[in-house]
Amino acid sequence: MSNEALYQERMDRIGKAMRCEPVDRIPVIYMGVAFSPRYMGMSIAKFCEDPEACVDATVAAMDRLNQFGGLDGINLAQTGRITPALTTMWLARLGVPGRDLPPESLWQVREEEVMTQADYDAIIEKGWQNFLMGYLPKIIDMAEFGEFVHWAETKTGLMLQKYRDHGFGIICAAAGAPPFEYLCGGRSMEKFFLDLYRMPDKVQAAMDAAFPEMIGGTVGLAKMMGAPGVWLGGWRAASALLAPKLWNRFVWPYYVKFAHALIDAGLTPVFHWDQDWTRDLARLAELPAKKCVLNPDGMTDVRKFKELVGDRMALLGDVPPALLSVGTPDEVRAYVRDLVRDIGPTGLLLCPGCDAPINAKPENMEAFVAAGKEFGAG
Amino acid sequence: MSDQLAMAISDLEEEAAVKLVGERLAAGTDPMAILASCQEGMTLVGKRYESGEYFISDLMMAGEIFKATTAPLASRIATGKGGGKGKIVLGTVKGDIHNIGKDIVVGLLRAAGYEVLDLGVDVPPQKFVDTVKETGAKIVGLSGLLTIAFDSMKETIAALAAAGLRPGVKVMIGGGPMTATVKDYAGADAWGNNAQAAVSVANEWSKGVAHE
Repeated sequence: MSNEALYQERMDRIGKAMRCEPVDRIPVIYMGVAFSPRYMGMSIAKFCEDPEACVDATVAAMDRLNQFGGLDGINLAQTGRITPALTTMWLARLGVPGRDLPPESLWQVREEEVMTQADYDAIIEKGWQNFLMGYLPKIIDMAEFGEFVHWAETKTGLMLQKYRDHGFGIICAAAGAPPFEYLCGGRSMEKFFLDLYRMPDKVQAAMDAAFPEMIGGTVGLAKMMGAPGVWLGGWRAASALLAPKLWNRFVWPYYVKFAHALIDAGLTPVFHWDQDWTRDLARLAELPAKKCVLNPDGMTDVRKFKELVGDRMALLGDVPPALLSVGTPDEVRAYVRDLVRDIGPTGLLLCPGCDAPINAKPENMEAFVAAGKEFGAG
Repeated sequence: MSDQLAMAISDLEEEAAVKLVGERLAAGTDPMAILASCQEGMTLVGKRYESGEYFISDLMMAGEIFKATTAPLASRIATGKGGGKGKIVLGTVKGDIHNIGKDIVVGLLRAAGYEVLDLGVDVPPQKFVDTVKETGAKIVGLSGLLTIAFDSMKETIAALAAAGLRPGVKVMIGGGPMTATVKDYAGADAWGNNAQAAVSVANEWSKGVAHE
């Protein structure tokens, strides 16, 4: 079978699983941004600096893992440099390996207050994009940012094609998040959480001012990319971190609006939720059936998800990163077996939770793929 | 709970709590008694977190209120540090710069009466060793959010052992990805993935009861 035929077959399987339809076997999906260079013997500094090498290492890692049982595709496709992308997602400075950190270390978001309380007013007055133009120079060198944008505008299509040329499907190629995450990243978690208690109306006004532009930008980008899903991130907005009155006001209504906007545009929201969201899983049943995907990181109770949301929404996940780092191949195999038994066979796409970390053991990732073949065939 | 100050803190009423402290100081109340009320409020916050009524955001707000209410007491209390329950050396291990979880734990441990030597983030193993030697602390807390912290935790505990300090020191590890498997991998004595667990473990160890 040609790689193009393989790609079509895999995308068909992925699409069916995302819509909770019967599949010939459960899709096995890759996600392991920092794992890829480690697995392929590339330095982390090189991976961070060279956008094409970064994509090539990711595809090569998928090719290698594919030999252990078959990979259907990738969760969120890497199409260029990771650290500028994270900077725009977190609105925070990053420590970059090879520049600010030792070449083999992991990039890290700097937890510091860059956005000020006065910036809430600036967002309300200027709008989101205008505010960002003034804000970005505080967190990234604008020459570097310009190169990043130029690369994205001119090379993303070619980079996405690389996955397809190797027969791999792509679930998401664009990402967004509700205003909570951007403001929290810019303010720092501690400052932002205190703002929610001390000046809630102001924070909400800034969120509401920024939100339409955020939605419009993400929908437009996703339509251009052509992948079926859109990665809707959540990390600091997790249920385990926020009091219910805050979550109900500052988090959930924005996910609902974002999800509807994506669905209306023919896209599938993929809730990439780190941390524990178990408390509020029942709310997912409020969303249109079989139009969204939950992508938790191993901390959310997926069996509770199955119980509460049933076949209304597919699950993409959730082999825990810690298990991939310090567990054994047998433990990984058992985790996948139980996941298939309890969540599958429909509405499940097997994937590392969040993503396979830099120190995931190769034998554990290989066991993950092999277990997908062993237990996912039904 | 009948103490108004403790109630205000436990209900996260910042303005009311700060006002009450001011009023009590002006009325000549013993600062130690005021501190005890603040600690009582924080104890209830911890219990509400354990019972699922409160969440991390509430702990952060409570920690902020505790800082605001106890700040005017520091200069009026002879020892200034609290710390009657013993010393704890705590930091985020080498290679990891996450401070939020650590800071919450530091705040809760201080509110619970421990003297916490906060070493910050990205702390090399030797720094933990040196600080334990200098202070004679019997409890060490290692924090980390990333899976790369696992190896740093293991190295830190090995460094404590190499320095001959391990028999006299209990080590707890904490952070989102911690599990019993990670505890065994690192060679720690206890683990937790929520902030209140650190207080519970420290309290048990302070009573001489090991927590596995």
